[in-house]
This record gives sequence, structure tokens and C-alpha cells, in this order.
Amino acid sequence: MSGADFKVVLLGTEAVGKTSLMKRYVQDRFHPRPHINTIGAAFASKSVSSRGRQFVMGIWDTAGSERYYAMSQLYYRDAKAAVVCFDLSERVTFDRAKQWIIELRNHEEDCKIYLCGTKKDVIEDGTKARAISHEKVLQFSKGIGAVYIETSSKTGESVVELFQLIADNCELPSAKGKEESVKLQLSKKSETCCSAS
Amino acid sequence: MSSLYYPLNLLLCIVLIDFCLCFQKYEKVYHEQLNSGNITQKAQFEYAWCLVRSKYSADIRKGLILLEELFHTDKEESKRDYLYYLAIGNARIKEYNKALQYVRGFLQIEPGNHQVHDLEVVIKRRMEKEGLVGVALTGGIVLGIGAVVGLAFALAKKH
Repeated sequence: MSGADFKVVLLGTEAVGKTSLMKRYVQDRFHPRPHINTIGAAFASKSVSSRGRQFVMGIWDTAGSERYYAMSQLYYRDAKAAVVCFDLSERVTFDRAKQWIIELRNHEEDCKIYLCGTKKDVIEDGTKARAISHEKVLQFSKGIGAVYIETSSKTGESVVELFQLIADNCELPSAKGKEESVKLQLSKKSETCCSAS
Repeated sequence: MSSLYYPLNLLLCIVLIDFCLCFQKYEKVYHEQLNSGNITQKAQFEYAWCLVRSKYSADIRKGLILLEELFHTDKEESKRDYLYYLAIGNARIKEYNKALQYVRGFLQIEPGNHQVHDLEVVIKRRMEKEGLVGVALTGGIVLGIGAVVGLAFALAKKH
């Protein structure tokens, strides 16, 4: 699994901010310029420590465009955690997130789901109105056994917390994967970010 | 899999094992449409997307032909996706210069695209690495010949 011990996949509609979320977490950067569609998927890895364990988290940032919808199953295959993103100000992206969750439940039973409401800063500064109440989403996520979190990649709010929670909740696979990840850490910097198909 | 080939496969996100999974599915759809004489761009793209992941260069080349065709026939906004996979596919069959041409073509349209900048770095790094491997091999051969010549001299002296 590309040298990572633990696979996390980011899913959600086009332009909800999956790439921004990943970039904020892995590189602690935010690019405010116009949205660029991801092609296929991008991969990044980050060395994380949690509960006395040190391991490499591999993050698959998938394209939100419909063009890649048919291939998405291949991207989230064997993922241990999925961050399903929606834009807090766009109702339709929440409906789409629900569909992703149903799909994940059907294909990847063991994948833990984190429902993530993005662009919280836009709601807080009043630029846009919240499209769906916090309580409603919270209720929905409780019903499906998912964690709900609201983030802002622009300010960084709750981004590290989200991925730390994923790390804390994760169960690592066999020791073999561990060896590979050590190699990756030795040969590369602990953080890599590259684009993918 | 040699570590030299690791970064590009990472770019493809899906490890090569998954190739079989997508291949059967998309090849079937493509051939069904091919037989009915009406291939959709969607089916052609999905099949090509899959082919460039193959470990066989013949498959990758086939994928590249399909992508080139799509690039010339499909609408403008789809071209960036085809350019990206044309670059990846060419890099995977070691056609690095061609791959870089596609990368540069892409960056002319979208100079700020990080995904494609990263791809450029990976391709260049791979070219450098393979260049170095070539030098190391030649060095080894020279050393080997030197040893043989030395041994011959030593033997000749003895006699």
C-alpha cells in the first residue's frame, strides 16, 4: 500500500475542499486562489504519532468530478478511514456526502467514516449562510456511527484535530507494513505530497 | 518492484495489483461498445485510464493511443485529464522527453497546477536516477575489464 501503514481516503463533491484539507494537514498551507480540479487522485503521506505508536498515514485525495466517479471504488478500496467532505454552505454537497456514505457502507464495511463540514470560516465571517444546521448533521452522523467535525482549511481550525482523531482511532495492520513504512521514512522526508492519477 | 519505479506508481495512487480489478471491467465495456460500433468517450477514457496502469508496456502504449485520440476529439475542458495521463503513460514506458512535453503543454494552460508540477519533478528525478545507474554500470564494467587485464598480466609474468 505505497509504503503507508494506514490508508485514509478523502471523498466528496467537486470543490468542497478535499485538496485544501489535505494540504493544510500535510504542509500546513492554504492556497486561496481559484479552485483547481484534481485529476484522478493525489497521494500524500505523513508520519504520525498516536498512543505511543509511530506510523505513516497515507492520504488519497480523490477527484470530486463526475468523470472519476466510476473509478472511485478503486481509490477507496481497503481504506481504513474515509473523510467524507461537504461544503457547509451547499446543501447539495451534503446530499452527495450521504450517497458516498451509503456506498462506503456497502463496499468497505471496516472503513471508519468521518463526516467533515468544510469552509467553516466562510460561515463564521458571514460570507455565506449555513445550508444545514449543525444539530441535523450531528444527528445524522450519530445515526450511522460516524464522527462529525467542522473544519476550515483557511484558518486551520480542527484540521489537525480531525487527522489526529483518525490516527488515535486507527488499528494498525500487520508488522510487515510497519517495516516498509520505516524504509519510506528513512529514504524520504517524513512528509511527502505528490499528485496522482 | 524496484525502488526506482516507486514514485511513479505512487503518482498513479493505485498499486499495480489493482490493475486486474479495473482492467476486466473496463475492457469488457470498451469491447462491447467497439463491437456495437459506438464507443463513448467515457468508456474509452476509463479503459485508457486503466491501461496506463498496466505493468506491460504494450498495454500502456495502447492506452496512450486511446488517450491521444480522445485529446484530439473531446471538448476543451477534458483535455487536461488526457494530457496528464499521456504524461504518466509515457513516463512509465521511459519516453521521458515525450512525457515532459505533455507536462509542459499542461503547465502552459495551467501554470499553477501542483499535481503536474509534482509529476514533472518525479519524471526528472527518474531521468537523473537512470542516468546515474548507467554511469555506475559503465564504471563497473571498466573496473571488471581492468581486473581481468591485471590478472592476465600477473599470469603472463609468472610464465
